[in-house]
Amino acid sequence: MIADPSTTPHAPHHVPTEPPARAPAASGWGRDIAASVVVALVALPLCLGIALASGAPLMSGLISGIVGGLIVGTISASPLSVSGPAAGLTVIVLGAIAALPSFEAFLLAVVLSGVFQLAVWLSRTAWISEFVPSSVITGMLAAIGLILILKQLPHAIGYDGDFEGSYAFLQPDGLNTFSTVAVTLASEVLWGAAIIAGLGLAFLFWWDAARPKDGPLRFLPGPLIVVLGGVLLNALFAGVAPDLVLLPTHLVQVPVTQGLSGLVGLLRFPDFAAIANPLVWTTALTLAIVATLETLLSINAVDRLDPRHRITDKNREMLAQGTGNIVSGLIGGLPLTAVIVRSSANADAGAVSKRSAIVHGVWLLGSVALVPALLNTIPLAALAAVLLFVGYKLAKPALFVERWRQGWTQFVPFLVTVVAILLTDLLVGIVIGLAVGFVFVIARNFRTAVTVIAEGDDWLIRARRNLYFIHKPELKAALSRVPDRANVLIDLSNTNWVDLDNVEIINNFIAGSDRRGIDVSLRGDAAGTTAARIDARQTGVRYA
Amino acid sequence: MKVYKQLLLSNQAWASELKEENEAYFQRLTAGQRPHFLWIGCSDSRVGPEQMTMSPPGGLFTHRNVANLVSADDDNLMAVVHYAVGALEVEHIILCGHYGCGGIQAALDGGTTGPIDRWLGLARAVADDHRAELDALPRNERAARLVELNVRDQLLTLARVPVVAAARAAGTLSLHGWVYDLRDGVIKPLLELEPGDATNGVRVPERVL
Repeated sequence: MIADPSTTPHAPHHVPTEPPARAPAASGWGRDIAASVVVALVALPLCLGIALASGAPLMSGLISGIVGGLIVGTISASPLSVSGPAAGLTVIVLGAIAALPSFEAFLLAVVLSGVFQLAVWLSRTAWISEFVPSSVITGMLAAIGLILILKQLPHAIGYDGDFEGSYAFLQPDGLNTFSTVAVTLASEVLWGAAIIAGLGLAFLFWWDAARPKDGPLRFLPGPLIVVLGGVLLNALFAGVAPDLVLLPTHLVQVPVTQGLSGLVGLLRFPDFAAIANPLVWTTALTLAIVATLETLLSINAVDRLDPRHRITDKNREMLAQGTGNIVSGLIGGLPLTAVIVRSSANADAGAVSKRSAIVHGVWLLGSVALVPALLNTIPLAALAAVLLFVGYKLAKPALFVERWRQGWTQFVPFLVTVVAILLTDLLVGIVIGLAVGFVFVIARNFRTAVTVIAEGDDWLIRARRNLYFIHKPELKAALSRVPDRANVLIDLSNTNWVDLDNVEIINNFIAGSDRRGIDVSLRGDAAGTTAARIDARQTGVRYA
Repeated sequence: MKVYKQLLLSNQAWASELKEENEAYFQRLTAGQRPHFLWIGCSDSRVGPEQMTMSPPGGLFTHRNVANLVSADDDNLMAVVHYAVGALEVEHIILCGHYGCGGIQAALDGGTTGPIDRWLGLARAVADDHRAELDALPRNERAARLVELNVRDQLLTLARVPVVAAARAAGTLSLHGWVYDLRDGVIKPLLELEPGDATNGVRVPERVL
């Protein structure tokens, strides 16, 4: 029996990544609700930041986040993934909004991209994403962790120049990821922010180790405490140390509206008259491809973070994402994908089912509609502490060590992916990682296939497994060892595929065998398809 | 999973894989058999002839018993030989012993009772016939040598079975004595009786194990 090493019992000292479930699977509501609050708090500034960076109305980011929770969350079968506006799409969206005649035309492209995704769902081709090597997925996670740390450090100490949720190395403010950290450290330490972030981070590390294993406290999400603490501290500063108070630019900034009706008033709708504009279609196609890619990669990655090792139905996810983009576009939202940071915050906060993702949508909707003023008291530094901790979990040194131990064929593509993503952006980095990853995967999967046995003049050239295209040189070398006047048996009985190039090599050998006095016989494949293509006398079992 | 269930599951996989390769695979087998070879080997679980020679179904007509012994009084083996030579017209009979044979070891060591003891009488007779050579060897090499001597003597007994002798005289049957080395998986040929070869005065084979 094949045992999955991750599920076999471990030595007693093994510490599970989650407290053992004490209640049957039917419960877990408490953990999901708690996690949903954390995800919503993390999602809020990300939705706003990505909308800002995309050159779109702030509300469009929030709409996308709400749809990602309510619609995608409901349809998706993924237990932990969270969907919403994605940093990976900002470059495309920014360019498209600038190039298209109106934001409403862009919304039509979002709707159409959802239709394209539904086509992927109908064609059932999402399984192709299973080919992404695991070294690339883990590399992507580690890189995102490192980027989170590097990008959030400035926010933690009060520099808010780049938008929340950016993955790009080169930033719109002319700095890059590393120089921002340097600039911030050199000049712009905002002590109020630094204190909030520092205390928050310290609390999160302590809570991670000290969280009780029993009692109601074990469900208390650390990030929630950090956010509440941040709000209270900033209020405290106002009373006792006015120098430290964080101004609104360092706080969450949700558009303040008059309840739900005010919210509806801000909605914008797609311009269907733009349907004849070819740019709408190319934008839609680009969005669909990139969003699908990012979604499937994220889903693969998030499945790896699931302490219960569940596997998401990728095809169903395409139905969810397609529907999500159609709805988001129809009511004025940005395109959405499954997103890693929110998803890993979700996993980290102890979510057990997709209820968490759905309810995070409810919180987003409710908070934006009902309590925007309250949200706008949350310091970005507190959220930075939460994201720094998520980043640490994604990129902790133990992960690098683990990959290193798996050998260089896993470590090199992993490291290349990490570095490529760090120095370019998520999508370009992944493409580079994939290219390198596939080279290593193919090299690693190559196994010699030809056995040569010689006894005197009798030679056996046996294919121990299928002769694929990559076995061409090996087959050629094996046949070239056969001397003149030999009796050769070519044994293909263990194959069910011999690549046509290899058939050609064998037939060339046979064509030249007469002149060299070589006698060739063939033991064919069970199906007889290859044997029929080879011009040699067949030997094998006789039947009456 | 119960251990025997693995046999049934594996069998289903085997059948469906072959059928996937060739829809007519098993249909073809129902037509009947015309194997080239009769294989007489040991019952030991480690010496399956189809595995070590990569023979497909229809390749080997097979008889296996403890220590691959031949006796004209054994109706079981005689029925196999008669059918293989008389009806299937096999061209080769292979008699194959193997290194590490428990039956041969027991024939040397004794201590057996009942049917096994009676059966191994054939092997003890071989040991008695070659007592001088065996006694001259270090104790730990005797069993391997007796495996080889046993193959030779059983092959000669087989050659004198009337139906075998007749086919050899007609020039249609060759006999082969082989030993299989468990330690490296390689079959080492010991001696061969081509149709015309005499069965008297066959020399004791060189040691190969």
